[in-house]
Amino acid sequence: MVDSETNLGNASKSVQVKLVLLGEAAVGKSSVVLRFVTNEFQSNKEPTIGAAFLTQKCRLEDRVLRYEIWDTAGQERFHSLAPMYYRNAQAAVVIYDVTKASSLDKAKSWVKELQRQAHPNIVIALVGNKIDLVRPLSLSLGFTPHPDSEEEADDATATPDGTTSGDAGPVCLRQVPREEAQAYAAETGLLFSETSAKTGEGIVEVFTAIAKKIPIEHIIASSRGSVGRFDVAGSRTVSQEGGVNLDEAAVKGTSSCSC
Amino acid sequence: MEINAVLSMGVQGEEDSYAGKLHLIPPYLAFTSLDRKSVRFTLPLSTIRRVERLNARAGIYALSLSTWHGMKIIVQLTSLRPTADAFCSLLREALKVELQKGQMKAVKGFVRTCYSEVLVSTSSTAPDNEREDGSLINDAKEGSPPVEMEYHGGLGLRFKFPGDAKKLREASKVKLWTTYLRAHGRNLTLLRYPQCTRLVQVGLPNRLRGEMWETLSGSLYLRFANPGLYERLLEENKGRTSTSTEDIEKDLHRSLPEYAGYQSEDGINALRRVLQAYSFRNPEVGYCQAMNILAAAILIYMSEEQAFWLLEVLCDRLLPGYYSPSMHGTLLDQRVFESLVHRCLPIIHDHFQVVDVQLSVASLPWFLSLFINSMPMVFAFRIVDCFFCMGPKVLFQVGLAVLKINGEKLLQIQDDGGFLNLMREYFASLGESAHPNSSDPRARAITRFQELLLVSFREFAVITDDTILSERRKFRNEIIHSIESFSKRSAIRNLKSLGRFTKDQAGLIYDALYKAMCVVPPPPAVAPPASLFTTNDGNYDRPETRVGLRTFHVFLSEILTWARDDKVVINGFQQRVDREIAEHELIDRLFYFWDTSCNGALSLQDLVSGLEGVMFNDLMDNIEWFFNLHDKNKDGHLTKDEVLTLSESFLFIFRYEIGDAYLGAVSRFMTNAFEYGDALLPRQENGEPGESSPPHIASNQPYLNLATFRMVVLADEILEAFFETDLSASFRLEPVPDLELPTNNGFLGDLWSNIATADNKKFFNKLTDEVGKTIGRHQVIYRPSIGRFTKLEEPKARESLLSPAMKSGSAGADTDTLGTSKSSSSTLAVDAEAAQSSKAASAFSPLPMVKAANAALMERTPFAIDDAGDDSDSDLESDIPEDDDQVMDEVDAFLEAHDSGLTDADKELAKDLIDAEPVK
Ligand SMILES: Nc1nc2c(ncn2[C@@H]2O[C@H](COP(=O)(O)OP(=O)(O)O)[C@@H](O)[C@H]2O)c(=O)[nH]1
Ligand SMILES: [Mg+2]
Repeated sequence: MVDSETNLGNASKSVQVKLVLLGEAAVGKSSVVLRFVTNEFQSNKEPTIGAAFLTQKCRLEDRVLRYEIWDTAGQERFHSLAPMYYRNAQAAVVIYDVTKASSLDKAKSWVKELQRQAHPNIVIALVGNKIDLVRPLSLSLGFTPHPDSEEEADDATATPDGTTSGDAGPVCLRQVPREEAQAYAAETGLLFSETSAKTGEGIVEVFTAIAKKIPIEHIIASSRGSVGRFDVAGSRTVSQEGGVNLDEAAVKGTSSCSC
Repeated sequence: MEINAVLSMGVQGEEDSYAGKLHLIPPYLAFTSLDRKSVRFTLPLSTIRRVERLNARAGIYALSLSTWHGMKIIVQLTSLRPTADAFCSLLREALKVELQKGQMKAVKGFVRTCYSEVLVSTSSTAPDNEREDGSLINDAKEGSPPVEMEYHGGLGLRFKFPGDAKKLREASKVKLWTTYLRAHGRNLTLLRYPQCTRLVQVGLPNRLRGEMWETLSGSLYLRFANPGLYERLLEENKGRTSTSTEDIEKDLHRSLPEYAGYQSEDGINALRRVLQAYSFRNPEVGYCQAMNILAAAILIYMSEEQAFWLLEVLCDRLLPGYYSPSMHGTLLDQRVFESLVHRCLPIIHDHFQVVDVQLSVASLPWFLSLFINSMPMVFAFRIVDCFFCMGPKVLFQVGLAVLKINGEKLLQIQDDGGFLNLMREYFASLGESAHPNSSDPRARAITRFQELLLVSFREFAVITDDTILSERRKFRNEIIHSIESFSKRSAIRNLKSLGRFTKDQAGLIYDALYKAMCVVPPPPAVAPPASLFTTNDGNYDRPETRVGLRTFHVFLSEILTWARDDKVVINGFQQRVDREIAEHELIDRLFYFWDTSCNGALSLQDLVSGLEGVMFNDLMDNIEWFFNLHDKNKDGHLTKDEVLTLSESFLFIFRYEIGDAYLGAVSRFMTNAFEYGDALLPRQENGEPGESSPPHIASNQPYLNLATFRMVVLADEILEAFFETDLSASFRLEPVPDLELPTNNGFLGDLWSNIATADNKKFFNKLTDEVGKTIGRHQVIYRPSIGRFTKLEEPKARESLLSPAMKSGSAGADTDTLGTSKSSSSTLAVDAEAAQSSKAASAFSPLPMVKAANAALMERTPFAIDDAGDDSDSDLESDIPEDDDQVMDEVDAFLEAHDSGLTDADKELAKDLIDAEPVK
């Protein structure tokens, strides 16, 4: 349970953004959030019953956003509980695992559900996680999607490669081509990026892109009682020790964000 | 059988006497006091060593029972004499059966697995190989093995128990329990008097905790009754993998990871085995996240086998439907909790409404994992103690108390996140003083946790088992409906292709399928209906829900006019339509035609695509569709046999049409088809020159191609009309009539009782028919599937297209009444007959009933009588579940009216009996 709010001074100076994470079990939802909130990667964590709730503040230009993150349980039978968490959400991060083709189908089904059932202006980001598992191969091969990834996987295990064989066991090949997911995202109007919660690659950029796309003014205007409290000048005084400065990250980042 | 009785302990002054009911449910003898909570026991008959009739005042009928643990119980049977006699003879028989089964011997071995035996036998309260917290010391001398290692225990023995033993006052708890267990029996023979509950409320001692959980919840009886089953289950399913086992692996390392036992392989392996064993035992539930938390928690205090049985009682009985694929029990109890908050804490409820905060974001995990994940473990386990002792209402009471205590702060929160944070802070502070600023040191010493329990059980004592039951009953339909519509929306959303159907039309297809699945459930490997469609959206791990031929028949009968027999019955009282499912080779043919991926079963997508392939067709499409339907090998030709089959299909479709027009059309079709077919056959050169005998043809020889078929069809006005519009129009997507929502207890039970209700209706109908017949007003008409002709007018075969010779085939048709034409009646009557008989077998196969009876039996597992309702309806087998609630209500009303217990005179008598001599 992490809550960085205490480091960040007065919460009322920020715009609150409710964000929900959705995706098949074990694609790395919790890991992505943990990386974003504490910049850590660890595998033994609290289990997610229903949804875990975390907060993280971010600076973007002269604005401070306070992300309220709902990390939902991935098991299929918790599906019917999901509306409880995505209702009123301004943003959603739908995650799939680039080494598991079926997880993209599940992601697509979440996107469909969000577009029909969630807030009409919800900003959705499609995120392919665990690229650390495919990176070396996709680089060396210049990436060609292989229909028979099983055979390839055998070859891959034969080559000693420290970076690919993590705690995930057998080395996996990419099953979801970046282009395919990207095309789907473009045609459906989603933000898109690929990440690794393990290495941290691309994580902050996801949240930066969302922050940029969110109609902040709209939220300020519509959120209860916060109209008077939000004060742009005040937000500048918030210390930068805690939280994430999205401006910096965006500059440093490898611009893997498609937007 | 049950009987009124007064219970007293065989030792003077040990406990008061209590009036209640004695239940004989072999192999158990159980007692519940009238208030249903003060006193109760459940004794396996095999633990009863001696029964004597006592010699007492005239007219008094009393028995003295001696148990395995040497206790003496006196029960005075206060019902009428013949009832008491009957009870005694049944008891005698039941005891004899147990003796013959050798169960009496099993007791000895079994009690050795119970720690309570060690506890009462050692003179000092703490054996010297125990630490203060109850865990074992086995470091020093390796030569001397622990004295008693037969009893079952949990990981805590090795990895220590959570919490500080001194603070928990383990030593004095152990002492109190030792005294109680010595006097009141233990494990299989425990008598639960009010002190037992009070001792549980102050917290069970670590070492005894696991065993008391199984005793209080009743899982002990399951372990006793099924020796070795756990090991066998693991052995038999060794190496088996499933979605459940995969899901379990993902969660093993995130189940109480902070506990030392789960940082070791031994702990992880034990957890894996218990969860897998449960998933093998109950594949319909399999594994649900949160069960890992429960299993990990109880394994600290109990052995794998104990934990396995406790998990079964938890998931199947105490928290029914919580972990099932639809999680309907969870959703229902969340709704119930919300309603109780509304009732008991209206101001908080209103505030939540105003700021749009959902209670469930915080309360869901409270219920799903018994607070274990929400508060520090030492406190959570105390709540778990109460939960096993007093039942599921505890979760509601504690939940309400949490909200009440935080009431003022809750009125300040503005959103879900604030609510969660507040709850988190509160739970983290449970160890602190509830009144830190009080001048009274005693008040300062009260912790927030103690305050929580106090508020739970004092202020929310009004929340009883009955409250929960009746609230559940109230919201059941709402929940089922919302699950159902949720499933429906996602099922339709996730269809790969809707074809030309609108979403609403697809919804109607879904409804028909859902109804069909309620009548004929898909194979058992698949989850119960409501959850079906939530599991298959693009998820490759789970097989898509598919229905078999049986279900398909029901489904099709909903939307296709000729796939059913609509009998319009008119008697003196009513006019009604009896719908029966038609059986015909043509319908099976459709099933396989739509099973494009050759699964032997159809998915919703298959049905949608299949229907799409016929419902939007024009004349030419339909002719081709019908042709293809009968072209088995898809070579573009029908064989001669297939032409015959196709003609039979026509006859089947037209079986209820009025007049002979269709019969004539089919007859002309056959004549023409064979004429053309034969004419197109390659001539055998060396054959006889005479053309009179038809050439011999092999059964698989191509005979009629599509072009010829089309020509023959178009030669006939009636067939043309049929393909032009009637065929497509015979598929009708209309709102499914009288899809009654299940209304009773238990989710599956609902579906079955739905069928039972339909049966009742049938009975009424039959009755009125009989009456109608006797007064001569009974009339049955089959409703036509096409219904083009309502009068007996005779359309002519189209002239001129075909040679006049062919027309001779069309019989001059005489008129006939009510659609039963002479010539067709013989063949068609057979079909109808067959349809009816096999339909009777399919729609009312005994299986659902057997299941329902089993479910009912499960409900009344005769242990741990938390709610006497379980026992008051002891001849459940024959009852349909719907009636249970009413029975319960009546019993409740009765109990309330008679809650006064015993008069002084009664108590006096009970005392006398303690000293009474057995009858010689
Ligand atoms: N190699 C690699 N493993 C990851 C990554 N993200 C998550 N994982 C692993 O994937 C598993 C599931 O992660 P988790 O965050 O619990 O997934 P969730 O069920 O979607 O919340 C864990 O074993 C993680 O360690 C990643 O970016 N790279
Ligand atoms: Mg997670």
